[in-house]
Amino acid sequence: MNMDEEKDIENALRTYSERIEFKQRLARIQASADVNAYPVETEQSGQIRALWRTYRTTLAVAASAAIITTFGSIFLYRSYQQSHQQEQQYRLLSKEIQAVKYSQRKLLSDLNGRGRALSVNPAQVSGSGFMLTGDGYFVTNNHIVIGADSVYVQSTKGDVYKARVVYNDQAHDLAFLQLCDDSAFRPMPPVPYGFNARPSDLGERVYTLGFPREEIVYGEGYLSSGTGYRGDSTAYQVAVGVNPGNSGGPLLDEGGNIIGIISGKQTTLEGVSFAIKTNYLLDAINAIPADSLKGQPLRLNRKGGLMNLSRKQQIKRMQEYVYQVKVFKHKE
Amino acid sequence: MKESRLPVLTDEELLIGLADGSDNALTHLYQRYFPMVLYFVTSNSGSEDDAKDIYQEVLIVLYEKVRGGSLELHCQLKTYLYSIGRRLWLKQLAQRSRFMVRDVETPVSDEFVNGQISDDLAGHEERDRQFDLMADSLNRLGEPCRTLLEDFYIEHLSMQDITEKFGYTNTDNAKTQKYKCLMRLKRLFFSEYKQD
Repeated sequence: MNMDEEKDIENALRTYSERIEFKQRLARIQASADVNAYPVETEQSGQIRALWRTYRTTLAVAASAAIITTFGSIFLYRSYQQSHQQEQQYRLLSKEIQAVKYSQRKLLSDLNGRGRALSVNPAQVSGSGFMLTGDGYFVTNNHIVIGADSVYVQSTKGDVYKARVVYNDQAHDLAFLQLCDDSAFRPMPPVPYGFNARPSDLGERVYTLGFPREEIVYGEGYLSSGTGYRGDSTAYQVAVGVNPGNSGGPLLDEGGNIIGIISGKQTTLEGVSFAIKTNYLLDAINAIPADSLKGQPLRLNRKGGLMNLSRKQQIKRMQEYVYQVKVFKHKE
Repeated sequence: MKESRLPVLTDEELLIGLADGSDNALTHLYQRYFPMVLYFVTSNSGSEDDAKDIYQEVLIVLYEKVRGGSLELHCQLKTYLYSIGRRLWLKQLAQRSRFMVRDVETPVSDEFVNGQISDDLAGHEERDRQFDLMADSLNRLGEPCRTLLEDFYIEHLSMQDITEKFGYTNTDNAKTQKYKCLMRLKRLFFSEYKQD
């Protein structure tokens, strides 16, 4: 027992001394390693790594913010550029006429005073349009009448009628108006032209009437493609010189049939204009709810009476049915 | 620089060298694995001195296991050392009430090895306690017993040297004196040790 306990305490002492010795050896080695500057070197890289470790989440957030900002602005810039380009290339032919001076002659010759009201408060947008039926249905481009407070149409003779917007077809850029709201409007004889919904052939001689200025203007050319801007199958491409204000004007073929409605042109190319095909006009008419028509059916003249007339005669008959559309809007 | 002068030793050779008390092996162990622990400790709000203390303790654990022949390695030596160092430092951090750990190496994930490391550390703590207790007991022993025992057991002086140093008439006398001192130390040591 005694011997055992002596062993125990001796062992404990030995372990104690071994540890002390070991610590001394370690201290020596640590000191020599310090002299070799070994740990100092690693400590430097360790510190750099420690910094990296500490700040890498912050760095990651900063980097992703930078990436998002970069690509976001590139994307925005590109989409802006693209939309801008499109806007430039495809020009709607409505005319902003706020700055256009009213013809003095018109003012003076206007006796019933209806025109005077217009001249005092000139229209903000103008375009063209034409009668669908003799009893007052009328078609023009949707982009002309959009956002309108009131819409007036003015004939070549200078008669002004107030029009009611019956239906908008935004997809095909069509708007249907009715003139018979205005008591001054008296139904006219049936329209002389027919509506040709069959696809017209390339090279077809076509002409249009419109109001790029206060007077009606005639333009002619040919049908140059069966599709419109960027392959738009609802439109034709035509080589007719058109200008702002021509929008909504009729496009007629040799036989005096309506084959389309002028809607826009490509600004980057010369003589490239676009017209909405007549069969989309017919589709749009079919889509008009019966309520909007107020019981007055809208029936189109399929067969025109201009077939055998010369171009000059056709135009003479036509122009009474082509109107200038004037739109008044709230100033924003 | 020093690295090139030292022959590249395997972990196995290092452990054998450590058990034999080879300075070379110890230096090698120090240089090979200290940077890892240093990196870990400095990444976890410790200083270089903290790292040195921790690594010293790690090596003490290893050394005492190797000396006692009870080292069972079920993972790489590097992983073992890292895990031990990690536990030790975490304990310190817990005392400083910090809990976020940023690992620089993969610690032991194996359940069995983890348990083994816990056992090793428990054993280490026990030995730590013994060590502190022994230092304390030696302090309380008083002179000349303390110096006598330290000279014999720590400085490894022969009984002859001790006889001369302390002016005993002969070695037998010195031996009796040493035995008496040892018995007093035993009482001091075990009275504390057994209490716990």
